[in-house]
Amino acid sequence: MTSSDLLTVENLSVETSQDHRNLTHGVSFSIAPGEAVGVVGESGSGKTLTALAVLGLLPRGVRASSGAVNFAGVNLLNTDAEKLREIRGKEIAMIYQDPMTALNPVMKLGNQLLEVLHSHSHQIKDPVAHVKSALADVGIPDPERAMASYPHEFSGGMRQRVMIAMSLLLSPKLLIADEPTTALDVTIQRQILSLVSKERSRRSMSMLWITHDLGVVANLVDRVIVMYAGRIVEIGTVSEIFKNPQHPYTAGLLASLPRTDDKVRDKLNSIPGVPPKPWLVGESCAFAPRCSRADQECRQSIPPLLDQLHSKCACFHPMGANL
Amino acid sequence: MTLKVDNVLKRYSIRKTKSQVNALNGISFELSRGKTLGIVGESGCGKSTLARLIVGLEAPTEGALHWEGQPIGANARNRLRNQHSRIQLVFQDPYSSLNPRQRIGECLAEVISTHKLRERSAVDQRVAELLTVVGISPDLRHRYPHQLSGGQRQRVSIARSLAAEPDLLVLDEPVSALDVSVRADVMNLLVDLRDQFGLTYIFISHDLSMVRHISDDIAVMYLGRIVEYGPWESVLESAAHPYTRALIESMPDHTRVGRADFESPLEGEVPDPANLPSGCAFHLRCPLAIDSCSREVPQLIQVRDTHFAACPVVVK
Repeated sequence: MTSSDLLTVENLSVETSQDHRNLTHGVSFSIAPGEAVGVVGESGSGKTLTALAVLGLLPRGVRASSGAVNFAGVNLLNTDAEKLREIRGKEIAMIYQDPMTALNPVMKLGNQLLEVLHSHSHQIKDPVAHVKSALADVGIPDPERAMASYPHEFSGGMRQRVMIAMSLLLSPKLLIADEPTTALDVTIQRQILSLVSKERSRRSMSMLWITHDLGVVANLVDRVIVMYAGRIVEIGTVSEIFKNPQHPYTAGLLASLPRTDDKVRDKLNSIPGVPPKPWLVGESCAFAPRCSRADQECRQSIPPLLDQLHSKCACFHPMGANL
Repeated sequence: MTLKVDNVLKRYSIRKTKSQVNALNGISFELSRGKTLGIVGESGCGKSTLARLIVGLEAPTEGALHWEGQPIGANARNRLRNQHSRIQLVFQDPYSSLNPRQRIGECLAEVISTHKLRERSAVDQRVAELLTVVGISPDLRHRYPHQLSGGQRQRVSIARSLAAEPDLLVLDEPVSALDVSVRADVMNLLVDLRDQFGLTYIFISHDLSMVRHISDDIAVMYLGRIVEYGPWESVLESAAHPYTRALIESMPDHTRVGRADFESPLEGEVPDPANLPSGCAFHLRCPLAIDSCSREVPQLIQVRDTHFAACPVVVK
């Protein structure tokens, strides 16, 4: 981590407030200005909670128990609600998986978009024109009519475009996206990925992209974080992670996907078992019960996230060089 | 030949707008025993409607479906129970398709006794057999669905469909709701079961990589019609229809790292099925469309051997 990073997350742990169940543990990473980072993990791996903790939006009953989230010199975990509200939407924006639940169903889209501008002390002279051009930028055919419409009048893909327009209104430095294309059809997903990719380059915006789909991150981000049972198990550049995965979980996940260039269509490499609940893991590698490389050491201590050959990896027996 | 789908049309009326939607608009194909047909398409293309017609949950508005010479459809009520045991459906979501208050062993036993497939005394033995076949320890028979993982629940769903001793399984997005690390396991199980019991599959998915992995033949659907049909290698490696090509290009692919070529191959959205464009339903989004595409509905034309595509611009 360097001082020039836009966002640094240090040793962030999230737990349930009542019974102190660990949901994520010691998550540390950073995002440089203009950099796109993908977080990959399965359900319950803690990828969404990490993003929500960054924004101070953890659901009721869940809290950050330790760590720091530094954004442009401010620790967001110690910031009061007022200041946090100023940062959200203006400096850091978020898009969600389901635009139908993220948008207000009984409010015209134009008013919802204008509300973003009104609730932040902005310097924009003509808010209506600004919203219109933002909608046109994301490929909404008739921005004026769109502003007078309700969310239900749009398809899923169009709603996600509106969400993206809304998130970009105040030119945030960081865009956090939580599986925004998972509910969409593949051709529409491709349109949205292409749109986000272009907007990111145009604005030199940083991005944190959360997904379970390895194919999506392969085409979209610079670096990849792999999470398992509430911990980061591997961080590396996208080409290192995909060509030379070091953690057996990353390697197993990649090997389990059907390949588009496979003629023989052999049995898929499966990972036996299921991901554990993070709070039930204890002093061992969470992946050990499913791992063919695991030995006594893996069952007795938690592997630290260390520099390996190609990436940072939390494993006592990393995969090593791929020949 | 076992399954014959002949010019099937399924029309739904929408009461609110007093309009009609053709969810399926003239579907024909044949599937032989032991083969797997993969059906791929986006939401609204009619793939789930087709699944419901094949298992006889609904009757076609026009056309007919036959299973080994016998008509399938809600009008053949008296034969329905018998047929249901030959053709079974596996649903996408193992969370909502299992009764949460029924122990999984009871769930399987119910199927066996409904279809009178075993003597009462042999039912228990058969339940244990079925659980073993799908890779679940028979000791778990007293568990409720919520006590199982997603992958285990989908295995129970598969066991439940096998309990009826079917010949044909219609699998409607069977791995889409599962975690990535569990999908490979269930896919392997499906391939094993097919080979072990000589089952015939209709495998429906929006995920081309899964369809590619399991299918002998692939049908690509767009707005109620099959736009391309043929052996999997031929369809995927020399796709003829512009929609198939766009679909292949749009698939996120972990084997292609980097942000090269990030143009979207298709502009626009899938039109409203209740208000289809004239001619070829794809022509408004198609990069190759010519004048006649907006007038004439294209029929399937032979590309080579058993590979067909409904595009007169590409196939001449």
